[in-house]
Amino acid sequence: MADQHEQDPKDPTRRDFLNTVTGVVAGAGVVAAAWPFVQSMNPSSDVLSKSTAEVDLRGIKVGESKTVAWQGKPVFVMRRSDAQIEAMRKSPGGKDPEPDDKRVIEPQWLVVVGLCTHLGCVPSRKDEGWFCPCHGSAYDNSGRILHGPAPRNLEKPPYQFVSAEKIVIGKA
Amino acid sequence: MGRIVEWLDARFPLTAFLKHELSEYPTPRNLSYWWNFGSLAGLVLVIQILSGIFLAMHYKADSTLAFDSIEHIMRDVNYGWLIRYIHSTGASAFFAVIFIHMARTLYYGSYRAPRELMWWTGQVLLLMLMATAFMGYLLPWGQMSYWGAQVITNLFRATPFIGDQVVIWLRGDFAVGDATLTRFFALHYLFPFLITGMVMVHLVALHMVKSSNPSGIDLAAKNNIPFHPYFTVKDLFGVGVFLLIFCAFVFYSPNTFIEAENNLPADPMKTPAHIVPEWYFLPFYAILRAVPDLLGGVVAMAMSVMIFAAMPYLDRSKIPGGARHRPFFRVLFYVFAIDVLVLTYVGMKPPEGVLIPVGQVATFIYFGLFVLLPFISKKEEQWLRARGLPPELQALVASEEAQRALKKKGAL
Amino acid sequence: MTKLRIRWATILLSAMLSGGVYASSEAALPDVKIDTSSAHLKNGAVAILNVCTLCHSVKYVKYRSLLEIGFSTAEVDTLRGEKPLDEPFLAKLQPESARKVFGMVPPDLSDAAKTRKNGAAYVYALLTSYHEDAQEHVDNKLFPGIKMPDPLGLSVELDPARKVKLDQRAKDIAAFLQWSADPRAAERESLGVWVLGYLAVLTFLLWLVKRRVWQRLKAEGVG
Repeated sequence: MADQHEQDPKDPTRRDFLNTVTGVVAGAGVVAAAWPFVQSMNPSSDVLSKSTAEVDLRGIKVGESKTVAWQGKPVFVMRRSDAQIEAMRKSPGGKDPEPDDKRVIEPQWLVVVGLCTHLGCVPSRKDEGWFCPCHGSAYDNSGRILHGPAPRNLEKPPYQFVSAEKIVIGKA
Repeated sequence: MGRIVEWLDARFPLTAFLKHELSEYPTPRNLSYWWNFGSLAGLVLVIQILSGIFLAMHYKADSTLAFDSIEHIMRDVNYGWLIRYIHSTGASAFFAVIFIHMARTLYYGSYRAPRELMWWTGQVLLLMLMATAFMGYLLPWGQMSYWGAQVITNLFRATPFIGDQVVIWLRGDFAVGDATLTRFFALHYLFPFLITGMVMVHLVALHMVKSSNPSGIDLAAKNNIPFHPYFTVKDLFGVGVFLLIFCAFVFYSPNTFIEAENNLPADPMKTPAHIVPEWYFLPFYAILRAVPDLLGGVVAMAMSVMIFAAMPYLDRSKIPGGARHRPFFRVLFYVFAIDVLVLTYVGMKPPEGVLIPVGQVATFIYFGLFVLLPFISKKEEQWLRARGLPPELQALVASEEAQRALKKKGAL
Repeated sequence: MTKLRIRWATILLSAMLSGGVYASSEAALPDVKIDTSSAHLKNGAVAILNVCTLCHSVKYVKYRSLLEIGFSTAEVDTLRGEKPLDEPFLAKLQPESARKVFGMVPPDLSDAAKTRKNGAAYVYALLTSYHEDAQEHVDNKLFPGIKMPDPLGLSVELDPARKVKLDQRAKDIAAFLQWSADPRAAERESLGVWVLGYLAVLTFLLWLVKRRVWQRLKAEGVG
């Protein structure tokens, strides 16, 4: 508020105090009123509920990889054969070495985010792994980058087994 | 801080503008609380624009998605229910504030010279507000939304020769449908910004002719006080009282202004038993129904809103000001106010029984008052002069007559 | 003078509004208080899922929402079985079969309690107004000719203890539908206390500031 009329000799401090208190209270109210509007832009409850995805593992055949949606991203859920598990155990990986057993909870099941760590394209299933058509990155059956421009292995999302036949992605 | 302001001042007249138009702006010291409603209208405009934009982030203007998107806002969006209720309550608050603002202007004669342009820009603002509210009401795509829009767009059928084509053109379809909804959403989003522009014209006009005051007489300069701090704090206090009432509705009675039937999704195959517009349209709706002929009813309804524009010319008294010094005018005002309340009641009920003649009589009185005003204002002036004017009026009337005489001389 | 005018305007206005903006055609609704506390909401939800969703959908309520009315995660898992948490309450009766049997699709119930005035009381009244007429046909006093068969069996129930139980169930169903129509009511009302309290304080402060500024006018007159 302008200070032009502060000639009042009566009680300048009391006036300032009242003005200040009122200003602070009003200001706090403006901030508090803005809060619901700001919050309304955050994900709504139906979007948040998609922060986890249940996957029924029955129906995925040995050697088959199923793609499910989680938080708007594709996730590869692959049922590996004993031979494939064995091969992945033996190999250290490629550009980004990582032991296979650190990348799975149950060795039979591989769960990785299906986005190439280069620029985000979705790799396609090819031979014993995945191949990204955009710039030629190749991944093995553990989702590890073998060669190509991608720097890192396919991302491991948080997930857990709620039963032998069901996993929930998004909850560790 | 001071340096920044200096830099700005050399390039943009901000401080000079604020000083002249806000801080020092001379305002009559005797303004009552009835003068708070202009600033309140501005506040509600801001509230509606803010809540509207945040609703538009979630709303879907498609006939198959609209109703569901409102449910999504009410149930899933964080504080969506609050923003929605603010917007629906705000629409009613806007009309309540505007009607009181208009009543103040009529009662105190603030529409009279030199404020005619303020009154007419206000008239345009009222029309734009009504259009905005009408289009906004379709958006939830409930039963009342759909059928209200169907009935009112049908009225344009009364247009001579091209009536049917006009209705189809308005709707974009043979009946109210998806095409109507999409365009109403586009325009409902646009209009508030046009309203904002017109409000600025309204305020520019105000700053030239300055505020009227309860005495109806433009006071001498010595009776003016600077707008800041006197009326800034008075307006802020008024805002506090308004928000208390507004939030009481938003938090404790939000469904008062949401017609129960509108919680049913629109069904083009089934008309509700009673089609009722929102309360602020009820008097005009009653006038529409009072005339049995379609074109006649539409003309009557349009005239009932437009006739306000003629007020500066219908009021022919040379006694300045409004009801304070003019007892006949005061009676006309109160009769008009009661008549509008009667019309509101008639508008909300189904048109049957005694309400039909009541509505017709009330419509007749409504227009009758405007028609009578030129004669009554003249008669009243004669009567007041015969009784002797109070001193403050005498001087003013005398000086105005002298001015008019001078002008006549100059023109010859 | 102005105060008198305001008082008259308020009296007139409230007399008008109480005349009933939403003129209801049934004046015979029972004066019943529907208790929407958690226990009743839960019972109502179970009744809805067991009985009503045979024919009616409640499509804006998801299994996930049951967590909001007091069910534990385990209880919700039992209620939903194989269905995902995000599944809404859908009717088991398919629309084509519904049209064959009833001539119409039973309306969705999500907003049933707010599509008419006193909606929750209406739901309760409807469920408890079934009776057997002289020809031993079951009909509804509140809605004669209703196509919905007596869902709770109150029209043929003879055991008084069971009748009381069914009556309570009808109230619980009404309570759940009241919640379903306005799931944020509790939060809204509690937030309202804070908002109105804050505004009362702020308005009081603004009044003090206004009064103090205007007293300057009386004191000296302003140049």
